[in-house]
Amino acid sequence: MTRRAALSALAVPVLAHAGLGAVLLALAVLVGVTIGEVALPLGLVGDLLAVKLLGAERALDPIDAGILWSYRLPRTLVAAACGAGLALSGVVLQALVRNALADPYLLGVSAGAGAGAVAVTLLGLGGGAIGLSAGAFGGAASAFLIVALLAKAAGGGPAQLVLAGIAGSQLFNALTSFFIAKSANAEQARGLMFWLLGNLSGVRWPDVSLALPVVGLGFLVCLAHVRPLDAFSFGSGAAASLGIAVRRVQLVLIAAVTLMTATLVSLVGSIGFVGLVIPHAMRFLVGPRHARLIPASALAGAVFLIAADIASRVLIPGQVVPIGVVTALVGAPGFALILIRNRRRS
Amino acid sequence: MPILPLIHRRTLRVALMAAPLVATLPALAQTAYPLHLSNCGVDLTFEAAPQSVVSVGQAATEILYALDLGDRVLGTSVWFSSVLPQFEAVNASVPRLADNDPSFESVVSLRPGLVAVQYEWHIGPQGIVATREQFADLGIPTYTLPSDCVGKDNSTGSDGTRLDLYSMDSLYQGIEELAQIFDVPERGTAMVAALREREAAAIAAAEALALEDASAVFWFSSAEMDIDPYVAGQGGAPAYMMQALGLRNVVESNEEWPVVAWETIARANPSVIVLARMDRRRFEADDIERKLEFLRTDPVASQMEAVREGRIVILDAHGMDPSIRNIDALETLSAALAGFDLQ
Amino acid sequence: MRIEAQNLGWREIVQGVSCEIRPGETFGLVGPNGSGKSTLLRLLAGLMPRAAGEVRLDGVPLAQLSRRQIAQRVALVEQFADTGEALSVRDAVELGRTPWLSPLSPFGPEDTQIVERALAAVGMEEMAARAWATLSGGERQRVHIARALAQEPRVLILDEPTNHLDIHHQLALLGLVAGLPVTVVMALHDLNQAMMCDRLGVMSEGRMVACGPPAEVLTTDTLARIFRVRAQPMIDPSDGSTLFRFLPMEPSP
Repeated sequence: MTRRAALSALAVPVLAHAGLGAVLLALAVLVGVTIGEVALPLGLVGDLLAVKLLGAERALDPIDAGILWSYRLPRTLVAAACGAGLALSGVVLQALVRNALADPYLLGVSAGAGAGAVAVTLLGLGGGAIGLSAGAFGGAASAFLIVALLAKAAGGGPAQLVLAGIAGSQLFNALTSFFIAKSANAEQARGLMFWLLGNLSGVRWPDVSLALPVVGLGFLVCLAHVRPLDAFSFGSGAAASLGIAVRRVQLVLIAAVTLMTATLVSLVGSIGFVGLVIPHAMRFLVGPRHARLIPASALAGAVFLIAADIASRVLIPGQVVPIGVVTALVGAPGFALILIRNRRRS
Repeated sequence: MPILPLIHRRTLRVALMAAPLVATLPALAQTAYPLHLSNCGVDLTFEAAPQSVVSVGQAATEILYALDLGDRVLGTSVWFSSVLPQFEAVNASVPRLADNDPSFESVVSLRPGLVAVQYEWHIGPQGIVATREQFADLGIPTYTLPSDCVGKDNSTGSDGTRLDLYSMDSLYQGIEELAQIFDVPERGTAMVAALREREAAAIAAAEALALEDASAVFWFSSAEMDIDPYVAGQGGAPAYMMQALGLRNVVESNEEWPVVAWETIARANPSVIVLARMDRRRFEADDIERKLEFLRTDPVASQMEAVREGRIVILDAHGMDPSIRNIDALETLSAALAGFDLQ
Repeated sequence: MRIEAQNLGWREIVQGVSCEIRPGETFGLVGPNGSGKSTLLRLLAGLMPRAAGEVRLDGVPLAQLSRRQIAQRVALVEQFADTGEALSVRDAVELGRTPWLSPLSPFGPEDTQIVERALAAVGMEEMAARAWATLSGGERQRVHIARALAQEPRVLILDEPTNHLDIHHQLALLGLVAGLPVTVVMALHDLNQAMMCDRLGVMSEGRMVACGPPAEVLTTDTLARIFRVRAQPMIDPSDGSTLFRFLPMEPSP
């Protein structure tokens, strides 16, 4: 059989899996749209889809229809993008850094986003021209830059990146606390902490048009690098001897991860543990090879975060629990399992 | 029970007639020391009126100014907005220790005879400035406004949780007790009487409207423009205003300022929306113009009855915290209701 | 494939090494610990950044080849390469196909056959499904060599490949390597095993101090000077080959 024949033989199962994934994702989105703080008539989703997609004429209550179309659908789509992006970032970093405990926030991205957001809101950085999200993105990107430079200065190994990430996170968390302490106006505890724990409630359609392309691009970049990622299994030296242009691949993948994480953090705040737990759970299910791990993690991350978002809305009736709290409630025990599994292995 | 005060009052009147030239009225106008008070779970004893005071919390500061005790105030802290116009002159001569939380040492170093506290959040069991014991150890008594502890659990919820509906009585109690501590009880009584009168008038005006099934939401701010907003829960000062004026609060949480989804608020479709106006610019939504713009442009919020009918009331944010400004807010809201077509 | 090294250097570790390795020969690299053997091997594989000098493969400078093109020609097995991933033996060997695959030419039946042959060559075909974490040190070394074989290189570079192996597998491996139709460059610890190579290079303090057939290079004088041992050459009467018995240097009088 020729390579081209092998390619077409491969296409059938790949398409079947992709189709299954799409169906699962669509189902999750449908459930996410249906469940929320207030109960809406069940037939509304069908009616709304008929009106929006098929141009049918139905009389819809403007508030009910608006809640579905303008609040819940974009929120669910961004939750999916966010879960997929964070899970992908986790997979890539764990492969590149060769550390089972690596996740996007390891790079100081979350701490940087928090400090950036606080700098903009409290110190009036940018004179009002910069919004909270833009401040968060700037903070996330600069935190990562600092962490990367520090890691390089310290020798550039995986362990150095982890340590530099810890140092960077501490620095930016301290900056956040400092800005808050310096803030000119008193107020009670209500405030930024809610946002820092992750919040999807402010998501609207413009956020979808930012999150989906960024995560889509990130997904394609990861998909194009499944073999290089596999080749990193035995370290970057082994990857190089297998023909991987190590520097370029590291640069492209880390840029993709930073872009995804910083964008997502700036949109919804920091949502921990998704990037850590989902990749490990998927390794357990589909194995360590990235050709399967990348799509599986993206799908699982998307579905997981939609589920976590639903849980955050219904856990306490009439009130929203920060989604970061929900993911941590699931993630912390998952994290513990990883630790125990790692000990058994070594 | 009623007999003794009657006798007392009569004696007083007799005394008044008998000694028309006496400038002060000893029985009413002076505090009998030592003064024993039970204040937010702490027993206080004052042997004499404190000569000085540091205030932690704008509401406490403004009560002291209103009692004409500005010359005793050594320093102020925890400011939410500009001082009321009538106190600008006196406030200008008082050092401001901090816009926000003062440090324990900056308060102590002034050696105040009393620390007057608005929120237990600053000075209380988990106080971020200090606990009351820490001040007591140095011989500095602390007085917490009862409006932050009567019927309120400050250990849950980000701004505490109201167990009972807030009542102006707890604020009036604070005014009268502070007046007693500083040996000016008649000023406290007079101030409370005036506030009660205005409160009753505002309520009577709203009752005259005979509102049926009118509801409201108080939007304080939001951490981000489109994010779930901070709104007034059941039990705080806004809840008291709504109840007093015959409005139903569409928010059912008992927290002081819970976060509630716009979809919940929109679906509840309140007949009136009250917005907080503040100097603070921590969040985009602190700006009243941005709140109004959101209500006009958000695809769902703009569909609410209150927005479409223009039934939006703007109130001073600090008037939504327990303070003497509650009465100003109550009057503004009552007057606004009269202008709406709410039948 | 012919390898020419000209004036190779990397920091203080390797300095001014020039040598030519002929097509198809098995070239051994010996020298005391820290003499620069591993670094020289990495230099030959083009893996050291900011290296001095030049390496040519069949006359083509390494610098003109992409990493992928180099990997299609040269395979390297380093010491101590480990993974925390739950890979199977087959997964690890399949990695060897990486330089030959692309999105348009995915892993196909030919690749499967190559992987099977590589597994069989190191006697690991029965253990293809075993998890990496359950393998012994020697088994891991054999999997690495199978991975390198799956790369179908024309130059195989091995860094102390007999480490961790029991004596049976040491001999089997050296026999396997000697029979491969490729150029082999390997660092060796055991000087008696080094005697089996076609030619040897002797490293000392970052320089190649001797290069040539084992019998010419490994003289008692060299062994005393470089390795600081007293070597007693002995002849195996069965085939007439030379073996060394090593004794500590006698203290200078």
